[in-house]
Amino acid sequence: MTNRPDTGHRPDTGHRPDTGHRPDTGHMTETIDQQRQTISELQTPVIQVWDRILALPIVGSLDTVRTQEMNEALLQKIVDTGAEIVILDITAVPIVDTAVAKHLLETVAAARLLGAEVMMVGLSTRTAITLVHLGVDLAGVITRTTMAKGLELAFGRLGLEVVSRRRSSRPIAEMLLDGESV
Amino acid sequence: MPITEVRHLIQGEDDIVASRQRAREAARQLGFGAVDQSRIVTAVSELARNIVRYAVDGRGEVAIRELAAGRTGIEIVVSDAGPGISDVDQALQDGYTSGRGMGIGLPGTRRLMDEMSIDSAVGRGTIVTIRKWRR
Amino acid sequence: MARVPVLQIGKTLVATVLEDLHDRDALTLQTELLGLLERTGVTGVLLDLSVVEIIDSFLGRLLNDIAVGARLLGAQMVVVGIQPAVAITLVELGLELKGVRTAVNADRGIVLLRQLVSIADRSTNGRASTRPPGLRTSHADH
Repeated sequence: MTNRPDTGHRPDTGHRPDTGHRPDTGHMTETIDQQRQTISELQTPVIQVWDRILALPIVGSLDTVRTQEMNEALLQKIVDTGAEIVILDITAVPIVDTAVAKHLLETVAAARLLGAEVMMVGLSTRTAITLVHLGVDLAGVITRTTMAKGLELAFGRLGLEVVSRRRSSRPIAEMLLDGESV
Repeated sequence: MPITEVRHLIQGEDDIVASRQRAREAARQLGFGAVDQSRIVTAVSELARNIVRYAVDGRGEVAIRELAAGRTGIEIVVSDAGPGISDVDQALQDGYTSGRGMGIGLPGTRRLMDEMSIDSAVGRGTIVTIRKWRR
Repeated sequence: MARVPVLQIGKTLVATVLEDLHDRDALTLQTELLGLLERTGVTGVLLDLSVVEIIDSFLGRLLNDIAVGARLLGAQMVVVGIQPAVAITLVELGLELKGVRTAVNADRGIVLLRQLVSIADRSTNGRASTRPPGLRTSHADH
């Protein structure tokens, strides 16, 4: 038993976890591929937040392989949904350096070839300063600090507006209790 | 599914499309996904075009074979009899894609593949070997 | 040309690439499209690449050239249907086709084309002024 901090991973015993049977190599490769795909999908879910608008929240660090998988999933979703705007949320990407920026720019370029505009949200002040310092040019990429702001811009571009339906300024709970429709 | 080695000559522009088709077929049979197939076919297209445009008599050869060293991969060797690249390092630099002469598209091809090596000398000819491994 | 049927529908040319193109076919396509734009006064070109499984540096650069040529002839071009695998490969090759307007499919492409054409009409660089001087027509204006 190795002294590993509890990361939720199985200690490295050199064995595969006991699945109850001994899979042959071919089956194992298939299982690995399936699991890799599942992990990939879980890490970079592409969400359709509205007609023609996709959101892609990235959690964790971004390397070449991950970017490639992300791009494939994103582009297929653009084709499937006819999305015209993609909101890439990098709030949960810990390090945005030259390499990561390059990967993100590839995503932007590939989506553009499918007619979708990519905007980046979740850019922190620190990240912005880092990118400027590194001389990375995000020219042509629309950025906003939050997903909400990104959505607002996306709606605007599609000619949509969010309008309150409430006729009065009474709290919704009160209105519901009085049997009013909200 | 394993493949047997395929060699064919490049003698003219029509062979660029033929090279693409052979590469596509081989990549597909070896189980490469759609995007990797696209990368491989595009890389082969670039190299085949280099032959047609810049090799002596526009002639060369494309050999496609399977790599089996623990994991599956594809190796394509594109060779010609001349004129050769005088400065391989320079040809592999990014800014060279806009230049003229043998070597256009080489940096792009390298980005698409996992491994690329160039064996070339002026007057001797060029051998470009590219490889991609299945994930 | 067998490999790329070109239809004229109103003021739009619709060209659909059906097969892997030899370099010379791609050049022929360029000549044919630009020639048609010049002769017919059509203002929009929809180029459908949804069946195309490979776009390498030659075709990529040619698409840019056709887009520029079309604009010079007073027309807008929209390329539609670039496959995801092809898009990823193009970007990795280093070709972003920044001068080419794109849409995910023909339906969206037609909508975009209409918008681009109407913007072009309204701007000072409208069709009439970009048309090469001395080029045909007995009409005073279009």
